Amino acid sequence: MTLRKPDALQQRALLWLILALVAVWSCASQMMGHFPLQTNLLALLPATERNPVAEQAVNKLAEAAGNRAVFLLGHENEQAAFAAARAFAKQLRASGIFSHVLSDIPAMDPKQISGFFQPYRYNLLNDADRIQLASDLSQNRNSLAERLQNKLYAPFRFGLTLSVADDPFGLSDNWLASLPLKNLQLEPDNGLLVSRSDGKTWAFVSADLPDSAYNGDIQHQVATAVSMAETALKASHPGIILLRTGTVFYADAARASAEREVHNISMVSLAGMLLLLYLVFRSIRPLALGLLSVGFGISAAVAVTLAVYGEIHLITLVFGASLIGEAIDYAIQYFAAHLGAGSDWDPMKGLRRIGAGLTVALITSLMGYGTLALAPFPALSQIALFALVGLTSAWLSVFLLLPALLRKPNRRNPETAVALPQKILLEWQHRISARACLLAAGLLLLLAIPGWLQLKANDDVHLLIARSPELVGQEEAIRRIIGFDNSSQFFLVEGEDIEQLLQHEEALHKQLSQLVEKNVLTGYQGIAAFVPSKRRQAENRALWSKTVFADENRLTQVLEEAGLRDEVAVAQVAGFKASASSMLEIEPWLQQPLSTPFHHLWLGQTRQGYAAIVLPQGIRNLEQLRAVAASLPHVTFVDKAGSVTALFHQYRQWSSLWLLGAIGLIFLVLCLRYRWQQSMIILLPTVLAMVLTLSLFGYLHIALTLFNMMGLMLVLGVGVNYAIFLREGGAHASATLAGVLLSAGTTLLSFGMLAFSSMPALSSFGMTLLIGIAVSAFLAPMLLSFDHHLDKRT
Amino acid sequence: MQIIHLVHNALHAVLKHLPSALRSSHRVLFASLGFLAATSGHAADPELLSIIGKQIEQHQVVRADFSQAKQMAALKRPLLTHGKLVYSSRHGVLWQIERPYRVSYLLGETKIIEISADGSRKERGVRDIPGLAQVGRVFRAMLGADTNALQAHFDATVTGSAQQWNIVLQPKQAQVQQFLKQLQLSGGQFVEQIDIAETSGDLTNITFSNSIAAAAPSASEQQLLDSLQAK
Repeated sequence: MTLRKPDALQQRALLWLILALVAVWSCASQMMGHFPLQTNLLALLPATERNPVAEQAVNKLAEAAGNRAVFLLGHENEQAAFAAARAFAKQLRASGIFSHVLSDIPAMDPKQISGFFQPYRYNLLNDADRIQLASDLSQNRNSLAERLQNKLYAPFRFGLTLSVADDPFGLSDNWLASLPLKNLQLEPDNGLLVSRSDGKTWAFVSADLPDSAYNGDIQHQVATAVSMAETALKASHPGIILLRTGTVFYADAARASAEREVHNISMVSLAGMLLLLYLVFRSIRPLALGLLSVGFGISAAVAVTLAVYGEIHLITLVFGASLIGEAIDYAIQYFAAHLGAGSDWDPMKGLRRIGAGLTVALITSLMGYGTLALAPFPALSQIALFALVGLTSAWLSVFLLLPALLRKPNRRNPETAVALPQKILLEWQHRISARACLLAAGLLLLLAIPGWLQLKANDDVHLLIARSPELVGQEEAIRRIIGFDNSSQFFLVEGEDIEQLLQHEEALHKQLSQLVEKNVLTGYQGIAAFVPSKRRQAENRALWSKTVFADENRLTQVLEEAGLRDEVAVAQVAGFKASASSMLEIEPWLQQPLSTPFHHLWLGQTRQGYAAIVLPQGIRNLEQLRAVAASLPHVTFVDKAGSVTALFHQYRQWSSLWLLGAIGLIFLVLCLRYRWQQSMIILLPTVLAMVLTLSLFGYLHIALTLFNMMGLMLVLGVGVNYAIFLREGGAHASATLAGVLLSAGTTLLSFGMLAFSSMPALSSFGMTLLIGIAVSAFLAPMLLSFDHHLDKRT
Repeated sequence: MQIIHLVHNALHAVLKHLPSALRSSHRVLFASLGFLAATSGHAADPELLSIIGKQIEQHQVVRADFSQAKQMAALKRPLLTHGKLVYSSRHGVLWQIERPYRVSYLLGETKIIEISADGSRKERGVRDIPGLAQVGRVFRAMLGADTNALQAHFDATVTGSAQQWNIVLQPKQAQVQQFLKQLQLSGGQFVEQIDIAETSGDLTNITFSNSIAAAAPSASEQQLLDSLQAK
């Protein structure tokens, strides 16, 4: 017996099988162990800053806070709040997940911070004292006796202080008091950190994660541990209010909602699609083949996306689920041809007949998604890549796999199968003339105008990042209770070396202090407040030298008159002389455990030199801050949210031009195959659909966003397909129309589901596609009137 | 997200300021006055404490002369201060130093105001001064006879009678013990003496004399105390 040589169809199918196996193997090997799902919403945002160090600073600030969860436990009775905080922290610790859980604050040596600065005290002066000493000097006055008196007799001494012997004139005390240490309303009380607000006492608990908040396993473990601790808390301490915030909760919520959406969208669109396929074809075979072709498309898309990006963003995954409805379109056209051919079916002839149309359709779709890839948003380019690969693979399936598996002619009578589309077709061709179509188009345009006039735009960054409102509410409550107001805006200060950097920062501090006095700010934090530049230290030392130590006899006399022991004056003079060469430097300060909470302010060495962050608090007027940055060299005001919003705005405006360009480009592609009049007519229903979609948004008062414009790009890419398929239908027009209606149905199902996504970007995208594609499919038969008309003329 | 980091900052910051805040003599004064209105579970004689507390609590306004003697390692001789105290349970405290030079301090729940002899004022708010809020809280705890706040900080031993009593307060928290050895209050109808012993060896002794209870502050005192309420 000889082995039968596989025929051409089988060879094609074999090739498909190999490709499919490679795709599945590649997916499986890349997902081995864990699924590299990216839940970091910041990863979606484009780079907006011209200065690369600014982007680095944005990331550093986000990271600094990212791996910690913060809780506040509130109750009317403070003892109840304290007990609950301790019980809750104990539960969290018992879970063993967190690397550190903080509730009771450890006793600390209060002298540590003043002790660190003491050796450098003759290099340090706060702003007020520097001004006062300088003016004393110029007016030949001396305020030392008065300062000593205040230090000795003041009944109240607050904050960090040195002893009378170490700082008889309170100048060092004043400097220590000027350190920007306190900016929150949390106070130690009963060993806990506590704030009081809304008639309740709130106790603070924080928990450090052992790994990144974007690690899926960590998210799951943290969510479980917190919810168990919360359940135990609610049972043992009734009436307690638990507030939480932290990147891990946002990431977990985003992941959970994305998983839910992927599940819902894929289930509903798959089920609906299979039902529609079965209703039209009354056979299981198209269902199975359709699933195979879509399955191949999605696996190839996931495999390539993972290979290119090393991870897949959850927003891509949600979008990918909705691609099912579009990927199946090519197979549907083949099934429709199969159905239309009846007993005359030949797999290759059928393929040849629809092949050109499918290819033109693929190209227009690819162009639609290709424009998405041009957008500067990492999220959109990933979606575009996913769609390009998925659609191409699905298209390839039709050419490679389907002919081999769809050899037998359709047993169903084509007449009954396409009875309804046939009827629509005939009615349309007989009743609706080309003239009527143009008239209708003109009328629709007229109707669209008032809608257009009402269009409004929205470029808010939150369109891209939807955060769980529940969590946002809790974070806002926490911010209010502990007195921290949102500040994603900061100053980036740079310098060639550390000294330059600190001098630039001091210039900024000077301006910011004036703004604090004018109530534009409540305060600011910067590293130069802890470590002045060497130039500033030298100036300070000169002031000490010219005032306090100008006349040693006078100094001794002042101290003696106040009743201080003689050794004090001797020690002061000796200490001043001994410290002549000591300079406070940044490194020793950074190595102090006390500086840990301020490390995020120091960026250190960058490619351009050195950089640091100055963090303004309680901003009331952004413009004045921008003006300050503009007036100072080496200082940049960074406002990531503002920059992204500005970018959205800019690209939304550009996108209208892109759309026009894309229409022109698609027209040119169409002209390669059709005459220009025909190309115009093929484009007409889609362009009308886009016009009407925009108008509908105006009527419905839905603010236009960049994502609506992106959606319109796709309406263009996909909507034109229907017209092409119909144009290509020819003798099997009614079967083709059935196919087009089916395609539109499946696409609407999946993109319609996308409109209900909790991510605003995806939902506006889906909404645009839903309306645009529904209208294009509805208007596509227009083509038939013109075809009829054109055919008659030729 | 920076919120979390800043909370961490605050934690460190506040920790460092607390002890110095407690060190200030007025803090001790408040705590001790306040203590009398409270009944501590740790007291040797809770009943006596309760009686002393009620006795002090009934005075809306107290006026007294004070003399303060401070002994510090750096000083050859004790530092003597004399002046007047006006204490209003509703408004706050007016601490007027008359000798060796004139300066007044007004202390309320949300701010502290320093008034120099020439009338110039220096005002600082709770948010500027770490630790000041606690003082205000102890103050409120006293007015509300809320023992919880004080119990957290001190162990008390009371001796004597309602007419002549003596209370020794020892800090409970290691944080406070680092600089404060012991407080001692004594008195009868009013607080008569406060002794503060710091771990550094510094000693402060405040004696009150000519104490008078009143129903309300005088017009001029009221005017000063009112500035504590102004925003």
